[in-house]
Amino acid sequence: MILFPSGSISSEVWLAVVTCFAAVFTQNILLSYFLGMCSFVAVSKEIKTAVGLGAAVVLVMTCTTVLNWMAYWWVLVPLKLEFYQFILFIIIIAAFVQFLEMVLDRYSPSLYLALGIFLPLITVNCAILGAVLWMVIRGYSLIVSTGFGFGCGVGWMMAIVAMAGIRQRLDESKIPAGLRGPAITLIIAGIMALAFVGFTGVLQ
Amino acid sequence: MKENRYWAVVFMFVLTAILSTILIGLARFTEPQVRLNQQIAFETAAVRCIPSTEAKTPAEIHAIFERDFVKPESAAGAFVYQPSGKAAGYALPFSGQGFWSTIRGVIGIGIDRKTVLGIWFYEQAETPGLGARIVEPFFYGQFAGKTLSPGARPIPIRPVADATDKDIAAISGATQTCVRLEKLLNTAIEEWRNKMTQGGQGQ
Amino acid sequence: MSNGTAVKSSKQIILDGLWFENPIFRQILGICSTLAVTNVVVNTLVMCVSLSLVTALSCATVSALRNQTPRSIRMMVQVLIIAFYVIIVDLLLKAYWPEMSRQLGPYVGLIITNCIVMGRCEAFAGSNKPWPSFIDGLFSGIGYSVVLLAIAAFRELLGMGTILGFAMPYFSTQWDKWIIMVMPPAGFFVLAMVLWICRSIDVKGQKK
Repeated sequence: MILFPSGSISSEVWLAVVTCFAAVFTQNILLSYFLGMCSFVAVSKEIKTAVGLGAAVVLVMTCTTVLNWMAYWWVLVPLKLEFYQFILFIIIIAAFVQFLEMVLDRYSPSLYLALGIFLPLITVNCAILGAVLWMVIRGYSLIVSTGFGFGCGVGWMMAIVAMAGIRQRLDESKIPAGLRGPAITLIIAGIMALAFVGFTGVLQ
Repeated sequence: MKENRYWAVVFMFVLTAILSTILIGLARFTEPQVRLNQQIAFETAAVRCIPSTEAKTPAEIHAIFERDFVKPESAAGAFVYQPSGKAAGYALPFSGQGFWSTIRGVIGIGIDRKTVLGIWFYEQAETPGLGARIVEPFFYGQFAGKTLSPGARPIPIRPVADATDKDIAAISGATQTCVRLEKLLNTAIEEWRNKMTQGGQGQ
Repeated sequence: MSNGTAVKSSKQIILDGLWFENPIFRQILGICSTLAVTNVVVNTLVMCVSLSLVTALSCATVSALRNQTPRSIRMMVQVLIIAFYVIIVDLLLKAYWPEMSRQLGPYVGLIITNCIVMGRCEAFAGSNKPWPSFIDGLFSGIGYSVVLLAIAAFRELLGMGTILGFAMPYFSTQWDKWIIMVMPPAGFFVLAMVLWICRSIDVKGQKK
């Protein structure tokens, strides 16, 4: 795919900003597409850990979206091996996370203590693979994909931090026995999703 | 220990090779079918958007498409419908981002470039029961007979309460899909009309 | 560094507690990504059949290779095998049911990261014979499917008045359709309701 299908860098960047905005609000990867629930429910008990995981997800998502874009359009498509995308994307995501872990461990031990613990959880996070697959299905260009990946990550982070904030407050409430644990988390997620549906009119 | 490491690499390599071969074989095997599906979908849209053509089976549709539709340079990207050699209308393909995914279709425009003959959507993945209802007759049937207004909004799609006879009534509950559909449709028609006018002046 | 090793082992403990050793949690979460397609029963049916078959076949294959697979690359081999079957499903759908393939979008590919598939391969197939692994995988998939189909039937019935596209007697005519059921938030709510019902039955049983 050519790098600037819409003709100029500025229109591409504008499109990227719009796509990023859409990915955060109107088509939030967690609240509208249900991706990344696994770590979401598990880790959203405390705001601090939620922020840590969210930041790691933003970083990994943005970088892997770009890498996978290049791998898909510059390697798989010319070789007519598009069906390989699932395997290649997962390999790239896993390799990148491994690489990130090594880099953090070597150069920034404090950051490693803060983020590194979450990196194995990220490898199996459906949201990352999901964002990459959406990017391929919708045929975004490179710059737009970067915006999209970043937006998805930020959207996911927003959802998880908001959820952590709510759950911290909930600890003091009386919840029926049947609802404790995953069920109440899902209801909160549903209410948040409802709230985000209200954003759909923002972008035309 | 060294042996174990080499064995791991060899194992991965052999496994990947075997699985890849099977996958490549299956991909090549299904490729013609995939292309055929896309072709049939497009031809169906082109044929169906011109209501005077009565075709039911893919074979009939293909026959009519081959016989009556041509794509000359002068039509600026649209197909010309010419049964028995006489041009009777245009079939303009359009595509763009709907609410969830891409919407693709073909709109039939009369030879006067003002009347809409019909419309057919061959690809959409909108919300079932809401946006996805654009493929139901009550929605797409409204397009037949409408006149294209000059200017930037040839076919307005308005909410049901505001829609006049000259507009298309949107699907209630599917605001986003209809808004985006209106935008991508009108953009395609406008661009095509401009190109056709320029082409005419060039002649 | 002793500090480093101490961190590593508590990291392992946290991960184990959250993730690797928590099967029920994982089952619930494995359902989550498929919630997106549960607004229409036929889409859910296709997803569930795909997932059950992929799980069953992957478990069988992982089991068949369990003695040859080196320990160190165990996870990679599992992912590779699961991806293999998912790609086959995807190719077949694209060729013979393109409408469905488009509606399901990326969710077929996301079966690869589904917690349940990997969980079964890891927990059962790694140490059992192929045929039992196949059955185990198949019935894990079916268990998952039952919950999802129930959710989908509920959502489609209340949201569109049909099931599998067939109009239902009361619901498609007099019922004032709950549009929310067709939209994402309902997926969360209905699953939460199902969990609530199951848990309450569980709690009642324990009380007795």
